Amino acid sequence: MGGDGVLRFAENELQIGALIFMVVVYALKIRWILNFPAGRDRQAPASDPGRSGPRGARRSLLQIAMPWAMGSTRQHPLLYAQFALFHIAVAASIAMSFLIPYAPGTIASRPAVIALRVTFAAAVFIGIARLFRRVRDPYMRAISTPDDYFSLALLIVWLALSFLAAPNQPHPRAWPLLAYFFLTAFFLAYVPFSKISHYLYYPFARWYLGRTLGYRGVYPLRGGVEIHP
Amino acid sequence: MPPKRSNKAQELIQRLPIKINRQAMLSLEACVHCGLCTDQCHYVLANPGDPTYAPAYKADKLRKLFKAHLDWTGRVFPSWVGAKSVYTDEELEEIKDVVFGKCTNCRRCSLNCPMGVDMASFNRIARGLLVHVGVMPEGVAVVAKDQWEIGNQMGVLPEDYRDTLEWMEGELREEYNDPSIRIPVDKMDTDVVYTINPREVKYDPRTIAEAAAIFHFAGENWTMASKGWDMTNFGLFNGDDELGAAVAERVYDSALCLRGKKLVISECGHGFRSTRCEGPNWAKRDVPFEMESSVVTMLRYIKEGRIKVDKNKNSEPVTYHDSCNNARSCGMTEEPRELLNLVCSDFREMYPNRAENFCCTGGGGAMSMSEYAPRRLKSGKIKADQLRATGAKIVVTSCHNCVDGLFDLIRFYKLDMQVKLLVNLVSSALVVPVRPLRRRLLEGFRILVLDDEPDVRVYLGKIFQEQGAEVMEAPDTSQALRIIRAQKPDLLTLDLVLPKRTGEKLYWDLKKEERFASIPIIVVSGYAHIDSPKIDFHGFIAEKNLPEPEGFIEKPVDVEKLIQTVYSVLAVAKVKD
Repeated sequence: MGGDGVLRFAENELQIGALIFMVVVYALKIRWILNFPAGRDRQAPASDPGRSGPRGARRSLLQIAMPWAMGSTRQHPLLYAQFALFHIAVAASIAMSFLIPYAPGTIASRPAVIALRVTFAAAVFIGIARLFRRVRDPYMRAISTPDDYFSLALLIVWLALSFLAAPNQPHPRAWPLLAYFFLTAFFLAYVPFSKISHYLYYPFARWYLGRTLGYRGVYPLRGGVEIHP
Repeated sequence: MPPKRSNKAQELIQRLPIKINRQAMLSLEACVHCGLCTDQCHYVLANPGDPTYAPAYKADKLRKLFKAHLDWTGRVFPSWVGAKSVYTDEELEEIKDVVFGKCTNCRRCSLNCPMGVDMASFNRIARGLLVHVGVMPEGVAVVAKDQWEIGNQMGVLPEDYRDTLEWMEGELREEYNDPSIRIPVDKMDTDVVYTINPREVKYDPRTIAEAAAIFHFAGENWTMASKGWDMTNFGLFNGDDELGAAVAERVYDSALCLRGKKLVISECGHGFRSTRCEGPNWAKRDVPFEMESSVVTMLRYIKEGRIKVDKNKNSEPVTYHDSCNNARSCGMTEEPRELLNLVCSDFREMYPNRAENFCCTGGGGAMSMSEYAPRRLKSGKIKADQLRATGAKIVVTSCHNCVDGLFDLIRFYKLDMQVKLLVNLVSSALVVPVRPLRRRLLEGFRILVLDDEPDVRVYLGKIFQEQGAEVMEAPDTSQALRIIRAQKPDLLTLDLVLPKRTGEKLYWDLKKEERFASIPIIVVSGYAHIDSPKIDFHGFIAEKNLPEPEGFIEKPVDVEKLIQTVYSVLAVAKVKD
């Protein structure tokens, strides 16, 4: 297999294989999740017409996009901005792993490449800052597992490779694309076992919490948020 | 080779799968250790630099177990994903110290988690696991035992409960000169069955009387129950769902037995949450009648014109402390404010408030865990700062636990404030059709005032006499002892700094002598609360293993507080007699 052949394999068969593996693991995970009994709200719902289980659940799911709604995000706007940009970059890189092999024209223009590269570069710096925070801050250190460090470090490398791969130019050097796709495949296989799979769990966690709190009349929060006089 | 597992650790691990439902496991998996919850916790803010107070750290106590036993990634790569099992009783004690001693389950972190991780629920689950194997603070064990065995968490006996209700009924009739006022018990087919916190019977019976007056003037068809009247539920605090179910069912069964149409729950955050929200889930049964907080009931009465209030009767600046259970778990944030604006003329918000309010530090059963009191008081600094910033003279809350928690903070941080419940303010704002003169509160009681300063003796004596008490005075301990031996007063007010012989020694003499041990003592001193280089009263009573005095009043004396304290202490002593 020549250089182009390896790249084609990395972009196609390898990705498909890794995706299938991920789907199988996720299917097993869903089965595992369903083994746990779901709690039920037997109490009467809150009498407040503006609040209900579904409303609470919806609000809870949207909370992630409302930095003003929680003290934790309101008090740390920089961390929130980092979070948003980092996750946008991850989503962009995931999209790029499909677009390069199947619709390369969509991200071939110079502005698109620049936009992607700026996003990835920013995300790399954010990732490094977050890794630094995790290592330096005693509170973060106390709660961090090896998986927390490794997942973040891996993402930083992956985003750096995304930055290099974004122009999608296998000639004269194919290694950035090759490295990007091999690492993407590794991610697909590793993610279900790591903390990165939070993207699978968190919508359900938020949905359950919001449903219960909405049913009880807590969500959406009543009386708004009053922090200062 | 892992160490051999202790019986308790083994039992706890076997119990783990039963306690984890789908919501909990998803929540456990969703945490990314982002650390955004850290500075949302009052314990963290008051103990900078100590990561063991961080919500995610505390939540990890359960997550590590979950990963080790229920998540296969933790079984295959334990250290990689932070899985850790427990093997020894010492490890269980360490978990106990965190989940009981470093968290009040206030749920502020849960509502501030971007992932929606309900860390307070983890803490409760961890507590439940420990309680299942008998690892818990002694106070928690005692209260839970009382609730299992006696039927209420303060061990109030049926006859004491009855006596208190009858006594309060008599007081009300005298106070309002209205013989038609009743505190009905076990009346069938009423519109309202009123449930209370046993603290009201034991330490604050006036709140029962005040609620009764409100029901009476609203023309409510109501009753209290002779059984299942305790709406508090220690199952919420110790994580024991079986206890939670049993206690809630007692209340439901009692209301059903009386064929009551609605259960009105007096002011208690955890009681309201347990009875209204969690009880049906713990008991796995549907409850066929409506349940309502007394805050909503009082507000409704005013809105419907069933009672009239005059807000100018409560003119001192008032602020409101949101109970965590009411605000963050039951959504009751607006009704108390609406009510306060109707019954007091100077209401000021505390910031942050509502669901963002900080815990009083008395929640989660913390008031029953005396071993963690220093930690609790230190962590209460955040709340104390909030209170101070309002400039209010009264902090109102709708939770008896918060009353005790806030009272401790006010004392500890020397805030010039009183704590009240909403029922106190509604009652004092009541405009009744014919308002007769109040009966003097201390009539029929004999009080000995011991103080070396003549001005103080005269001043206190006058206050008590105006309230109808017979007053005796003593400038030193030897005269006081003579009077006590000859006349045995109903109550002694004790100054700690005295010539010749300190108040501490007299306290010791009285408490060790059986005849006089039951005489209630209220310390009225400039050194009443904070141990000082001059007097270490708390250290003294702890060292001698003496009971706490019945009350503390700081000089300069707040007259209303003094009268209320003396009255409450005498009232409780009367019931005990």
